[in-house]
Amino acid sequence: MAAPSSVGSFPSPYEIETPPGCEGWEEMYPYYARFDEERRDADEQRFWFWNSMHFPVPMPAFDAICVDSPYQAIGNWQNRVFAVPPAMGIDWRCINGYIYISGNPVLDPAKIGERAGYFQARAGYYYANWDELYGKWREKMDALIVELGELKVPPLDEYEPDAVAFEDQETSYCAVIQAYRHALRLLDLMWQHHFEFLLLGYGAYMTFAELCKANLPDIPDQHIAQMVAGLDVLLFRPDAELRRLARLAIETGVDGAFVEGRSPEEIDAELTQSDAGRAWLAELESVKEPWFHMATGDGLYHTYTSWLDDPRIPYASLIGHIGALKAGEDIERPSDHIAATREKLATEYAALLGDDARTGFEELLALSRTVFPYVEEHKFICDYWFLTEWWNKIREFGDVFVAHGFFEDRDDIFQLTRLEVYEALDELALTWATGGPARGPRYWPPIVARRKEILERLGEWTPPPAVGAVPEEMLDPALIMLWGVTTQRVHAWAREQEGSGSELTGTAASPGVVEGVARVVRTVGEIGDVRDGEILVCSITSPAWAPIFSKIRAAVTDIGGVMSHAAIVCREYDLPAVVGTGRATSAIKTGQRIRVDGTAGTVAILE
Amino acid sequence: MSAAAHTARLAELRSADARAYGGKGSTLGELIAGGIPVPPGFAVSTSAFRAFVEEAGLGGMIAAETSRMSPDDVDSVGAASHAISQAMRFAPVPDDLRVEVSRRYAELAEAVGVEEPPVAVRSSALGEDSQDATYAGQQESYLWVRGADHVCDAMRDCWVSLYSPPAITYRARLRADDPAMGVAVQLMVDAEVSGVLFTCNPVSGDPSMVAVNASWGLGLAVVGGEVTPDDFLVSKITREVVREHVHAKEVEYVPDEAGRGAVRVPVPEERRSVACLDADALGALVDVAGTVERYFGSHQDVEWAIARGGGLFVVQSRPVTAVHKPAASAPTSAMAAVMSAFGVDKKA
Repeated sequence: MAAPSSVGSFPSPYEIETPPGCEGWEEMYPYYARFDEERRDADEQRFWFWNSMHFPVPMPAFDAICVDSPYQAIGNWQNRVFAVPPAMGIDWRCINGYIYISGNPVLDPAKIGERAGYFQARAGYYYANWDELYGKWREKMDALIVELGELKVPPLDEYEPDAVAFEDQETSYCAVIQAYRHALRLLDLMWQHHFEFLLLGYGAYMTFAELCKANLPDIPDQHIAQMVAGLDVLLFRPDAELRRLARLAIETGVDGAFVEGRSPEEIDAELTQSDAGRAWLAELESVKEPWFHMATGDGLYHTYTSWLDDPRIPYASLIGHIGALKAGEDIERPSDHIAATREKLATEYAALLGDDARTGFEELLALSRTVFPYVEEHKFICDYWFLTEWWNKIREFGDVFVAHGFFEDRDDIFQLTRLEVYEALDELALTWATGGPARGPRYWPPIVARRKEILERLGEWTPPPAVGAVPEEMLDPALIMLWGVTTQRVHAWAREQEGSGSELTGTAASPGVVEGVARVVRTVGEIGDVRDGEILVCSITSPAWAPIFSKIRAAVTDIGGVMSHAAIVCREYDLPAVVGTGRATSAIKTGQRIRVDGTAGTVAILE
Repeated sequence: MSAAAHTARLAELRSADARAYGGKGSTLGELIAGGIPVPPGFAVSTSAFRAFVEEAGLGGMIAAETSRMSPDDVDSVGAASHAISQAMRFAPVPDDLRVEVSRRYAELAEAVGVEEPPVAVRSSALGEDSQDATYAGQQESYLWVRGADHVCDAMRDCWVSLYSPPAITYRARLRADDPAMGVAVQLMVDAEVSGVLFTCNPVSGDPSMVAVNASWGLGLAVVGGEVTPDDFLVSKITREVVREHVHAKEVEYVPDEAGRGAVRVPVPEERRSVACLDADALGALVDVAGTVERYFGSHQDVEWAIARGGGLFVVQSRPVTAVHKPAASAPTSAMAAVMSAFGVDKKA
């Protein structure tokens, strides 16, 4: 009996082949993340989509902790705390290093009713006390970031410090193992906090959006977003600081140091030679904390470091801003205009509604504006600030391994799973203590080398947007709210899977029509390749890609809804954007001419 | 003095004059009062029609013909219509009415500084342009009419259209007796583009949108459904064009080169598939839509024209008769709506 070659219109997850040279990729991921034969009957009947929003490239073994830990957290809040009536948590599987996710629905009406009772009481408490709870949340996160900063990773030197002998200090080997446990726990706590408000925040916003669409069927999505979005958005502060520094450089006459093509070190070297330059550098230093904790990507990979780690990104922005200012351009975020538009839209739409609808509109808009600071701020605080610091903390363990010959490079630690690191740390503690020969220095380097090679090859493979069964209807509020994966979107993916597809459809995220040359960018490392006037095609962007947005004419993404970062930033920069096309990065090649219609939500491949 | 017994300038009319001048004339008067750009003109009262029938002694003949016919018998309707129309066409327009119309026309000519300005002569029926009974399309319009005598002829043709087979059938079914008709005479706009707009999206019911249909030339092509017009949906609030479909517009109506009447000609190839409105023109239409809607306090279906060389004019407005109501059910509270989004049973 032959198994069907595909289920519905998506490929079966069991039919996908391993790219040549990538055999054995499975060892990098937990046993439970595979599409295994034991669960075949169930898994083949489920709908799985590639979470390219958070995992656009193959996962390094260690980084898979940023799949488990957030999905533990989101499942916990959604399923065990708030008990969202129709949906439990999100499962994940890995295909060729790429992460596919699927929701667990609640189908029993009695159970849904039971959960509704929990949800109303618990979610109601959060909504009713939002500002107070969110204030506490900010305190928790601040404390967590301090705790992470204070976490010491002790070196394993030849002799224990005097304090161990004379002051009863904990031994270094115990301390380093404990520090590792502590680091893992801090990550779990961060993700726990991250998801505490997320669903409820997006849920309030989505409800407002639905009310708008029910009463104003033609309202553009971006108008809904514009009515809700905050004015003083944390995410835009880092770039605002760079614009201020750019003005300062011109005012104090040090702008000559910012020459296109110079490295940050070269620029700094010139600046240190004058009083004005040194004053400017002092000013730069003063904004680094916290604004340079901006990440160079969406934060879920160790490779997305912060501006502190990689100053090329902010310096490229500075060069761009200074050039634009000298060319007489206005580089300020038009915050007055944004504020005026926000109020104009809210007032005039309200005036168009009947009395009943207007009351709901005004209440839900107020609620959406209450929850939105969290929606906008958690990204900077959790995903950028905490996470970039956390990867650096793990690098400190990498240093300990390098010092004892286990790895050549501190970043090699990310090629081990978190449990393998634990095991290697145990061996290191043992052999450091005993003085006997360690196996690690010979055991791990070939594994690290092979995994790096596999990841590189997997990076050249393009995963299908979805696998498994095509669902009749998407009911999971989290998948709809957070990923924009609606019934309509899934069915469009399924249709496009069959068609030749010179036209892609997605969400109209920022209005306008532009034709131009596509630039497909898969990782943040490639953003330097983007040329002026190209159209960015990517899985997902983050505002940390700021330098790109002053160059490009439009953006197209694989995944994301109208509140995704590409959508928000494109509206800020007045660029057309189509998000959530499912397959832009696989269907479009760099150099092709495409037409992006950010009003209709379509992308046409012209040649 | 009976100097203005049967006519009035459009600007003098208000909705209360609908009984005397018909719906179209009184609506145009209201539009002018609302500060909306309407081509100038005058209206002829239903009393003129009655005077015409009386003076020509047609009353008995019309009553006899209509009582003889049966609305379900197409042949009898056709025969009645033919007999009445013929009799009316051969009956003279009363002299005092002819003098009065000529004087109004001369005033118009003087106002625009053109000797024989082209005008549109349109029927302005009682009950027309009302929300309840849309007679739209059952009466005639005559475009690019020039000279007082031709205006009088066109006016009589409008009256004749009151006895077209569909019109008399319609009235017979409604048991509406004693028909009468006003006539509106309006300076012609040499339209480069014309069309209709709705002050809401009549399909979705969205009140924040203006729906615009537009095509090249005089309005006949769009109103008569002879072209697939360009189709725009524009936000009232931001003026953004939310949806735009540009179609190939094959034909347009333009003034006949001979100076009288409008003719249907093919649209030159290079203009067919070009959008006939740009952002500025759409913005001006949204402005007008807002003014008309505010003035009447209800959604309106507006005929408009943009003159060659610029200038936007409204030539007709009537309440939108069938607006789709958005299917939204208002939640009992914002929190109930949020709960429902998370799948909490709405009945719970």
